[in-house]
Amino acid sequence: MSTAEAVVGIAAPESRSPRQQFWIRFKQDKAAVTGGVVIIVLVLLAIFGGPLAERVTAHPQNEPYGSMTDDFGIPRGPNSEFWFGADSAGRDLFVRTMYGARTSLLVGIVASGIAVLIGTVIGLFAGFFGGWADTTLSRGADVMLAVPQLLISIGIVAACSTTKEGCAGGLIKPGLSIVIAVIVLFSWPYVARVVRGNTLSLKQKEFIEASRSIGAGSTRIIAGDVLPNLIAPIIVLATLLVPQSILFEAALSYLGLGVPPDQASWGQILADASGLYDVAWWLMVFPGAFLVVTTLAFNLLGDGLRDALDVRTDR
Amino acid sequence: MPGQPRTRRVAAVLGALLGTAVLTAVLVSAASAEPRAQSAKGGTYRVGWESSFGFNDNFDPTGEYLANAFAINTNLLLRGLIGYNHVAGPAGAKVVPDLATSVPKPTNGGKRYTFKLKSGIKFGPPVNREITSKDVRYAIERMARPKNGAQYAFWLSPVIKGWDAYSKGKTKSLSGIKTPSAKTIVFDLTAPTGDFLLRLGMPATFPMPEEVAKCFEGKPGEYGRYVIASGPYMIEGSDDLDISSCKSLKPISGFNGQTFMKLVRNPNYDAKTDSRKARENNPDRFEFVVNTNLDDIYAKIGAGELEDSYATASPKVFREYSTNPSKRKYLHSNWADGTYYITMNLTQPPFDDVHVRRAMNWIIDRSALTKAWGGAVSGEVAQHIIPNTMLGGKLNNYRPFKTPGDRGSLAKAKAEMAKSKYANSGGVCSDKACKNVLLITDVRSVDKLILPIVQANAAKIGITFTVRSVNGAYPVIQTTSKNIPISTRPRWFKDYADPSTFIDPLFKGSSIIPEGNTNYALVGVTPGQAKRYGIKGSTTNVPSIDKAAEACAKLVGNSRLNCYAKLDKVLTEQIVPWIPYMSAKTVTILGPKVTKWNFDQNAGFTALAHVAVSK
Repeated sequence: MSTAEAVVGIAAPESRSPRQQFWIRFKQDKAAVTGGVVIIVLVLLAIFGGPLAERVTAHPQNEPYGSMTDDFGIPRGPNSEFWFGADSAGRDLFVRTMYGARTSLLVGIVASGIAVLIGTVIGLFAGFFGGWADTTLSRGADVMLAVPQLLISIGIVAACSTTKEGCAGGLIKPGLSIVIAVIVLFSWPYVARVVRGNTLSLKQKEFIEASRSIGAGSTRIIAGDVLPNLIAPIIVLATLLVPQSILFEAALSYLGLGVPPDQASWGQILADASGLYDVAWWLMVFPGAFLVVTTLAFNLLGDGLRDALDVRTDR
Repeated sequence: MPGQPRTRRVAAVLGALLGTAVLTAVLVSAASAEPRAQSAKGGTYRVGWESSFGFNDNFDPTGEYLANAFAINTNLLLRGLIGYNHVAGPAGAKVVPDLATSVPKPTNGGKRYTFKLKSGIKFGPPVNREITSKDVRYAIERMARPKNGAQYAFWLSPVIKGWDAYSKGKTKSLSGIKTPSAKTIVFDLTAPTGDFLLRLGMPATFPMPEEVAKCFEGKPGEYGRYVIASGPYMIEGSDDLDISSCKSLKPISGFNGQTFMKLVRNPNYDAKTDSRKARENNPDRFEFVVNTNLDDIYAKIGAGELEDSYATASPKVFREYSTNPSKRKYLHSNWADGTYYITMNLTQPPFDDVHVRRAMNWIIDRSALTKAWGGAVSGEVAQHIIPNTMLGGKLNNYRPFKTPGDRGSLAKAKAEMAKSKYANSGGVCSDKACKNVLLITDVRSVDKLILPIVQANAAKIGITFTVRSVNGAYPVIQTTSKNIPISTRPRWFKDYADPSTFIDPLFKGSSIIPEGNTNYALVGVTPGQAKRYGIKGSTTNVPSIDKAAEACAKLVGNSRLNCYAKLDKVLTEQIVPWIPYMSAKTVTILGPKVTKWNFDQNAGFTALAHVAVSK
């Protein structure tokens, strides 16, 4: 071995940016990658699945087919025309499951996104400024966490469900928007608490002191120093919140408080199956499988992101 | 006999002996049959009650109108001046004397009814005294005092003379009721009322002991846990009730108001004062137990742990019992004297146009809607308002919106819609009034099955809906100021076996009230009512049937039925406030221990007076 080769052989390790380190670590987590791929597929399904399924089967999503229920009104199972069988009203379950993906993912992603946004702003504000702002905002979050979610949800939906205009001057209308609003209302405090805790910890760090010492204002410190360091926990939280929101929508739909009956969602299909699952297994199995896969995918992705973003994690 | 040969005498003796033996065998057989009949007596008849009793006045007869409370009261607990034989079909809707010695014929031009009460009929423990005409009068006057919350007072208030003055406190007693003796009661009416006897068949008019009921004056529903028996059974623990003062009264232990009611034999009941055709009183005991788990109720019925239920069986239960030969005998389906329908508000666009309402009737797939309720076992397709069973079969073949298979007709719907001011030439509603029409439905599973059918059908003629799915839709559609254009929720059952109970509360303009209104379609609404009750929309040309209904109400017998049948046709074809789609049946699933069962046509439930169980 020549001297030159030896020098090359003992060269200093190649330095990697945090983003590269994250990517390398993330790629090694096969489960997380699978979760990510599944989510991409689900998103594509949510966008194109419903209309495509309608086109392929020639079954409009809200058309009941008399031939797909027996003499007692019980739906018939999968066959060559109705791949997932029929739902309790005799509609094509395959088409409705595909449309359900759109509703469920929309609720999950939008509600989680808004909740994360609100929670982050409030958590940051409370944690960074402390004092009365912290007391007010934190106690507000505590109050929201103490409120019985389903009871309040039932009240809100019932109050706004008897007119076309909804309530609060038309601001709250029954349907997807109210479901999202209810989920956001009860989800942001969880994000706010995590963000506040992290902010409290971060603002004691030396680099924040350094920023202050060179004259940086609060806004600049929050935007430039604190927020970037919160990205990891926020992303993780968001990925875990999405399946929770989907399940919450399912719970609301199960109670009849979710999306309108003519709008398919996995939760609603499962809710309709509750009285028939022992004679119509397909009502539970297909939407249930999609719900499980979606929840699992987001959870796997969230775990993977947490591990990849947290350098202290030892695998 | 002289001159008979010996062999013939022997044969005669042998024949006599043989005849005696056969006769003895028959008698022995008959005697042994008696214990079998006797064995029908005794045991406990257990009924699973879904979710909650749901009594609208906590079982207080004065205000109670739940059909199953009627069934318990009229079959088991209480006796009225007149009653029913508690059997299925038209015979079960015919009044028979109960406390009264006979069913009286009206006098004074149809405005007076005089009843004679039987002797020897006592209230159950702890009252233990003979029932008199004053007890009947007390019960009806209790109804007339508004503070007691009598839900069905409206059936008697316009009929019995002096009601209004008494209910307003202007008179000390109801002048239209006289009790010249302990065993005589006379009713004077304001006008001939063809169904007056049926109105007296409601438990609110049944005798009530003042010494107990007075303690609950102005406390609607509280008497429900202290009901004193006059029938063959009493609430278990009635004999422990201390009636020495109002303060000493404690609720009877056999009915906790929420989860159970237990009835035992009333020791003061004398079967000789009753008719076996009306009441057999076989079980020793009845238990009504609330169970929130419907599947559990039917599992217990299947296992012989319950005999019967007051529950809405699901289609899968219908299928299980209909298709399994060994279970088929436990399934009973009887006419419930009820109509399921979609209501359309005559004041709200686009249903303020009769052509749109007719088009909706043509397009709706009634067969599919009936199937959503469980198919033929739970009802048959209806095309008009009053159930055939209540019109003596006069409209059995009347099918004004007949289509192949009752699946609706797009061609006929379009042809009708084309006549509408809202439609384009193609027979499709193109006006914005037909878009996003507010539709109120309920969150119950069957409503979710009905909704897509209605939506898909209506869309074919250009009508689309904004759906509001409400947990408890009735209060919404019963509030006139909500101005609900259409609802898929309604069902209506008779109050008693007369067509007027389908006409007066549902279609008379004079019955419209701002809240709790049952004339959802607002037939006969006047501009004045609209202003008072917050009704917005077109009210100037809304048709009224009030005069026609009042004319029918005065008639009796066949002419009465003809009159209501004609009115039904006018409503169904000319006014078109509804899309009637199913004549309902009551489905009963029985447990294996039930040895005798019948359906009470009047109450629309099991004839509890005739059931029997094996021990």
